[in-house]
Amino acid sequence: MSRRFPAANMQNAAAVFVIAVIVLLLPLFLPTHWSSLVAKMMIYGLFATSLNIIWGYANIPSFGHAAFFGAGAYSAAILVLKLGITSFWLGLLFAIVVSAAIAAILGIPAFRVFGVGAGAVNPIYFLLATIAFGELLSKLAITIRPVTGGSTGMSGVPRAHLGFGSAINEEQFYYLVFGIGIVCLFLMYRILHSHYGYALRGIHDNEKRMQALGYNTWLYKYTSWIVAGVFGGIAGVLFCYFGSTVMPNNFAMATSDISFLLVILGGTTVFFGPLVGSIFYVGIEYVASIYLQERWPLIFGAIIVIAIMATPWSKDRYKGLGPGVLLLWQWLCRVVPRLWGRKPAQSVPTGKGV
Amino acid sequence: MAPLLETNGLSVHFGGLAAVRSVNLAIEPGERLALIGPNGAGKTTFFNLLTGQLKPSSGKVFFKGQDITHASVFSRTHMGMSRSFQITSLFPLQSVMVNAMIGLQGVEKSRYGFYRPMFKDKDLVKAAQELLESQELWDLRDEIVGSLAYGQQRKLEIGLSLASQPELLLLDEPSCGLTMVESADITKRIKALGSKITVLMIAHDMDLVFGVADRVVLLHYGEIACEGTCEEIRQNAMVREIYMGSRKQLGGK
Amino acid sequence: MSQAVVTGLNGLSYAFILFLLAAGFSLTFGVMGVLNLAHGALYMLGAYIGMQVIASVHQFWLAVVVAAIALAIIGYALYWFFLKKLYNRVPEQGVLTIGLALIIANVVMWIWGPRAHSMMSPHGLTGVVHIGSLGFPVYRLFVVGIGVLVLALLWYMQDRTRVGAIIRAGMDNKDMTVSLGINYGLVSTFVFLLGMALAGVAGVIGAPITGAYPSMGDNLLLLTLIVVVVGGTGYIQGTMLGALVIGLLDTFGKAYIPRVALFFAWVVFLAILLLRPSGLIGRKVF
Ligand SMILES: Nc1ncnc2c1ncn2[C@@H]1O[C@H](COP(=O)(O)OP(=O)(O)OP(=O)(O)O)[C@@H](O)[C@H]1O
Ligand SMILES: [Mg+2]
Repeated sequence: MSRRFPAANMQNAAAVFVIAVIVLLLPLFLPTHWSSLVAKMMIYGLFATSLNIIWGYANIPSFGHAAFFGAGAYSAAILVLKLGITSFWLGLLFAIVVSAAIAAILGIPAFRVFGVGAGAVNPIYFLLATIAFGELLSKLAITIRPVTGGSTGMSGVPRAHLGFGSAINEEQFYYLVFGIGIVCLFLMYRILHSHYGYALRGIHDNEKRMQALGYNTWLYKYTSWIVAGVFGGIAGVLFCYFGSTVMPNNFAMATSDISFLLVILGGTTVFFGPLVGSIFYVGIEYVASIYLQERWPLIFGAIIVIAIMATPWSKDRYKGLGPGVLLLWQWLCRVVPRLWGRKPAQSVPTGKGV
Repeated sequence: MAPLLETNGLSVHFGGLAAVRSVNLAIEPGERLALIGPNGAGKTTFFNLLTGQLKPSSGKVFFKGQDITHASVFSRTHMGMSRSFQITSLFPLQSVMVNAMIGLQGVEKSRYGFYRPMFKDKDLVKAAQELLESQELWDLRDEIVGSLAYGQQRKLEIGLSLASQPELLLLDEPSCGLTMVESADITKRIKALGSKITVLMIAHDMDLVFGVADRVVLLHYGEIACEGTCEEIRQNAMVREIYMGSRKQLGGK
Repeated sequence: MSQAVVTGLNGLSYAFILFLLAAGFSLTFGVMGVLNLAHGALYMLGAYIGMQVIASVHQFWLAVVVAAIALAIIGYALYWFFLKKLYNRVPEQGVLTIGLALIIANVVMWIWGPRAHSMMSPHGLTGVVHIGSLGFPVYRLFVVGIGVLVLALLWYMQDRTRVGAIIRAGMDNKDMTVSLGINYGLVSTFVFLLGMALAGVAGVIGAPITGAYPSMGDNLLLLTLIVVVVGGTGYIQGTMLGALVIGLLDTFGKAYIPRVALFFAWVVFLAILLLRPSGLIGRKVF
């Protein structure tokens, strides 16, 4: 229930700006393997934020978001490794088209059995269908070996070519991830705060009323699924260049698990929640990979269990780490000016609500 | 003049229960029609058939001369039909302002706009202000709807059903659960609606019915038991027996 | 031809393992409203528990009973500590049980190691029977027999007993059933425990065929989900039919067209979702 006030808006904008600058400057201070960790946080953050469009905003839970992540990763890899088209941008474009197409196709059976009113079924059917999508694609990737490399996937994705100069190095790749991440986050933010985005919130709260008000809710759900799929696919492209490999696992449950864990960890009530979840998750994963490689599934499972049991939840929304960070920030904004003996910024209602 | 809305042998049954049986009803443009009947008579179900939330087992619905029996819920709204719900049906996690804005853009092209922030849409903001002011909710625009008092939620409920500027307004017990003062206020508001809006309303509150309606239809076990002007209905012995009698038995609503 | 018959028997025994799992899964979902994606991991745990019992006391039947009881207890503990708090929150139940499945698999790997353990068929059930020129492994016939027995029991329970009537009434309208003074809680707990126990039984009798290994439940869980959707929920006949379709399809697919068999089942699944969401023999879902 954060209210945004003009003054607070400035504060938030300042916070976003400061964080962006810090992230931008990180490679100058950190050794590469640290900054690659940050790149991973951004990629997973993008992936989870794209899931949040449907899960958090429109209340369409999905256990198969990796279908799009994998689709993006494989499209880019196939273009480079099998077709010899090295341009990163063409790969990105191709991946966008492929993940949009896959989302458009899978969305038809998915939303045929999901919704309110005539044609509505228990959400379990939708969830099972989303599991099926990821698994189906991963099995497909194993099967059509000449194209996809079979069960071991493909490795050796070269460093990205941006169309000028030679292939970029690791540090430049970091900035590429940063740039694409910022653009995608900005676009998603705009979409979610547009008329369309508020319609998704309306569907979250009360789909029946939305229909009565004249909204074709099926179309909203279906298109939001495609939008989420496209951004998930873009995250997949970055991931394929990041690790320079693709594996059938990129489509499978194991990867989808990460996406919804980050959404739940970070919370669905604020836009940047999944990003916070991502920072937390990638941090733990890194520590565990050093000390407890063997027990990682156990830790991962435990994080899932703890996240779902401990995250404050009400009315189909999670209040995870993201809202916590926001509260902390708002608290700081109130307390810090007082230390200098100044009055905190006055609040003016705007009606924006959440 | 041709009726605005017409039903032809409209029926629906849930398993063995025939909730609405072969209802023939015509509403003239500009009319104020009240639908009354004891609890479980099938009034809300009849509304659901008109708005498309339910598909009839048999019979047809015509709106402005067109057969809309199989039209979707949202397309009926675009044709000029709108409804309120007996059980308050709002967007409880959003602010009053957002509720109004979502309500207003349901029949606007801009509802598909996906880039410009909704709050930068000056026309929409202004329309929302007007809508909320007309319902005396403007001062509460920042409140989260789920935390509003019940009476205010009911006002917003009616406000949302007016947002699409319907020709036919279907009100399902607009004063349900309100205090005397609040329901008198609602009665006043419905009376004040322009003659361009045709109103079909379900009501248990006789002050509301007799205060607003030109014509009253009594639904009993899913069938039209009788219909007439307010005066006729007041005098009708059958109405007393079915409606008032059963109401007493059920302890009223 | 003879090859096909033998494959058919393999498919049949596989179908009955799937049936045991899917019956448990859909009972817990239908009656408790619980989406348990740890069902496959519990099956795997059942196999390991059974293996351990056999290794120590060499009693196959005892292993079946111990695994069934152990799984019922573990399942109920999971319900009591976790799932109960997620009442009516299906996606969250799914997330939780995915996490639990990961934990269970990793703990099993911790205790018993990552390698597959082979498990001997019990005494008297080894070897092959010959009918004409065909040889059938006795153990597979035995699995089919057990499956038929369980099917008969569940079918009887569904159609002829009070428990079955209460379950059906509860699926139609839970509140009404409860308000009629029926102790639905007791019945649903019983059914939940039964579902868990069936996963344990399936684990022990499945292990001699596939061996026991930590990921043995993963693929089976996915096939179980397919069976439940294909067969439909609410009728044991539907679950059986779904299990037969998927079990045979998967086995024949792997034998004859191994390259596409992997996603055969998923295509059937999507086709059913599209064309007949209530499943082949299921309660109408809309
Ligand atoms: N979706 C449904 N499935 C089964 N039965 C239904 C359904 N909707 C309504 N009914 C039944 O149909 C009958 C009519 O219900 P309806 O809600 O239309 O009554 P009503 O006249 O609006 O009553 P009230 O004055 O209480 O609002 C009731 O017996 C109700 O139980
Ligand atoms: Mg009603």
